[in-house]
Amino acid sequence: MGRKKKKMSKPWCWYCNREFEDEKILIQHQKAKHFKCHICHKKLYTGPGLSIHCMQVHKETIDKVPNSLPNRTNIEIEIYGMEGIPAADLREHERQRLGSVSGTVSGSDDEDEPASKRAKPEGLLGNAPGVMPGMPGMMSGMIPPPGMPPGLPMMAMGPMGPQFMHPGEFSMHMMPPHMAMMQTQGGPAKPLFPSAIPTSSPGASIVGADFKPISSATISAPPTTNTPSSSDGNKVNTIATTGATSKIIHPAEDISLEEIRCRQPKYARSIPAKSEESASSSSTAASDLANAVSAAQQAAAQAKQAEAINQAAMMQRFPVRVSGPPITMALPGGPVMAPMRPTMIPGPPTLIGGHLMRPPPISMPPEYYYRMIGVPPGMVYGAHMFPAGPMLTPMMQPRFR
Amino acid sequence: MFNQSSIGGFGGTPTPSSANPMKDFEVTQPPDDSISSLAFSPATLPQNFLIAASWDNNVRCWEIEQTGKSVPKSMQACGGPVLDVCWSDDGTKVFMAGCDKQAKAWDLGSNQVIQVAQHDAPIKTCHWIKASNYSCLMTGSWDKTLKFWDTRTPNPMMSINLPERCYCADVDYPMAVVGTAGRQIIVYQLDGKPQQYKVLDSPLKYQHRCVAIFRDKKKSPTGYALGSVEGRVAIQYVNPANPKDNFTFKCHRSNGAPNGYQDIYAVNDIAFHPVHGTLATVGSDGSFSFWDKDARTKLKSSDLMEQPITRCAFNSNGQIFAYAVSYDWSKGHEFYNSTKKNYIFLRSCYDELKPRTSS
Repeated sequence: MGRKKKKMSKPWCWYCNREFEDEKILIQHQKAKHFKCHICHKKLYTGPGLSIHCMQVHKETIDKVPNSLPNRTNIEIEIYGMEGIPAADLREHERQRLGSVSGTVSGSDDEDEPASKRAKPEGLLGNAPGVMPGMPGMMSGMIPPPGMPPGLPMMAMGPMGPQFMHPGEFSMHMMPPHMAMMQTQGGPAKPLFPSAIPTSSPGASIVGADFKPISSATISAPPTTNTPSSSDGNKVNTIATTGATSKIIHPAEDISLEEIRCRQPKYARSIPAKSEESASSSSTAASDLANAVSAAQQAAAQAKQAEAINQAAMMQRFPVRVSGPPITMALPGGPVMAPMRPTMIPGPPTLIGGHLMRPPPISMPPEYYYRMIGVPPGMVYGAHMFPAGPMLTPMMQPRFR
Repeated sequence: MFNQSSIGGFGGTPTPSSANPMKDFEVTQPPDDSISSLAFSPATLPQNFLIAASWDNNVRCWEIEQTGKSVPKSMQACGGPVLDVCWSDDGTKVFMAGCDKQAKAWDLGSNQVIQVAQHDAPIKTCHWIKASNYSCLMTGSWDKTLKFWDTRTPNPMMSINLPERCYCADVDYPMAVVGTAGRQIIVYQLDGKPQQYKVLDSPLKYQHRCVAIFRDKKKSPTGYALGSVEGRVAIQYVNPANPKDNFTFKCHRSNGAPNGYQDIYAVNDIAFHPVHGTLATVGSDGSFSFWDKDARTKLKSSDLMEQPITRCAFNSNGQIFAYAVSYDWSKGHEFYNSTKKNYIFLRSCYDELKPRTSS
């Protein structure tokens, strides 16, 4: 198995032929690049593990190990770090490394292999070299439980599978993982968070374009530091907006965006309420709206009756200066209004488009006024943009068709 | 079919396609500042009117025609930024609440505005309640009270203390739900008179931002969807038959930025389709998504707008989906650009929100 090759070979990844300084990094590389679920980004521990995860959780079949070399896509081979690599491939890798020293070396290696562990031919394994580790049961025993924190693979490995590890090779396994990482791996910048390490592992540069560097989703809900604010509300709570691999786009203060916005001087100066003024000043602005609504009001004559009473009551309490029309509006009679708004013809059908014939509301802001003036009365705006029938139907409820 | 990039404008400059990536109908003469609330008229009106509240202190009303054309109808000013609007059940009035600590009733027939509610702090939510034996306006405020007003007397019919500031609320008689600061959720039952029904632990770990009630197959309210600032929505049944009926899902997050960070955005609004029972979410990321909560699948997600989507609404028969593109302050005041145009878009949505057929 892998441990006997340690003296002459760096750990390497069977799936992409990449060499690593340390098997820990290799394992992290494999989890990040080859054993990560493309749907939920969960990092599994072996190819079969990924396959089973996708089948059971997402009902999807994974037939190839992601980001693997064309001849190393086999998902059924159980490989974890250097464990489980088919013996033939180990020999081939060794042979290529050592160059000319080929036939005899591999032959002798083969002899060293205990018979019980010798690779057995496995015809069904597609384009894999046709061998499989002869110890699937033992391999599965090495697989750390799924709930293990992703940043600590070796810590969990240690007690679980020491019999499979070469003492020298894993001598650092008691160190915090990021410490081990720094010593063994000089290249990439040191991340602040151990959990970010897998993404910055050396394998990052070689993945295909389709494999996005989303490490994120596994830690998409970073631990929150804010507790429910006490009811006195004096404390200023904050939101942990920055997680290991994610950032919440929100101000750090844990109050609503509207409360923050309200503090702006622009919004803070609240104009004293002048309900009377606003009511009277724009009393004609909504005359055409009033027309439209009045149709509904008539339809809801009963509610209207109550409305009139309500209104009367309200007017008594809040002395509102009302100009002509509103009072007549309070009465449930349409005809009374008609003379004041010559263009008004009760009933919904004529109201659609009818606004164009009306004079612009005088008290509207200038831009409203000019824009509405600028439209020729005869211009049916929709006619050019929306050629007739088909355009109407999508926005239209059936009864209008 | 709807490939015109610019619908309205009345001869103004055409909308750049980047501002309208989904090529939807643009509402003409949008508000001058961010849009804080959207509401379509109830089914009692034969036409569709859309009301939008804005941080520019105004509430605007458009008629939305079947062609997708929007016709500005009227505008009403308030004493401060308006935070929420709602319609009365008969469609004759619009209620407006906001930073001036007041709620006002705007009678569309007479164009009168009268004050109907008063709080000690800005009012974040207002909802019209139509019960069999009463009707009233419910207002939720940052003064940690929930008040009920019959709109004819200056004193509330009822005032309920909240554990914290009201951040979001929804009403679907006989149920009301309020989400507060400090991640609390309170459910009220409204028949007879409003009373607290349940205080629930939040399923979410971050600040509540929006809530919407959904109905069961018999069209009675049965649960709610709660959105948080951490790109997540919880689907919660008030009385779940099975604890597994409650679940949360992630949304409005970036697909892994080049720097290795994933950006997580607030869920700004949730709306349920009135016919299909499916839902729409809109987020600070500037996208909207349609979801089927029963099949637990995403039905559609939009391209990103230039700015966040602050609110959304369905019209009464579920044909039109309106969404407001404007700045929501999620990146602080530094990213506020008052010269950027705000948009309200209208989308023909009926088919897109059909639930996933079980095959």
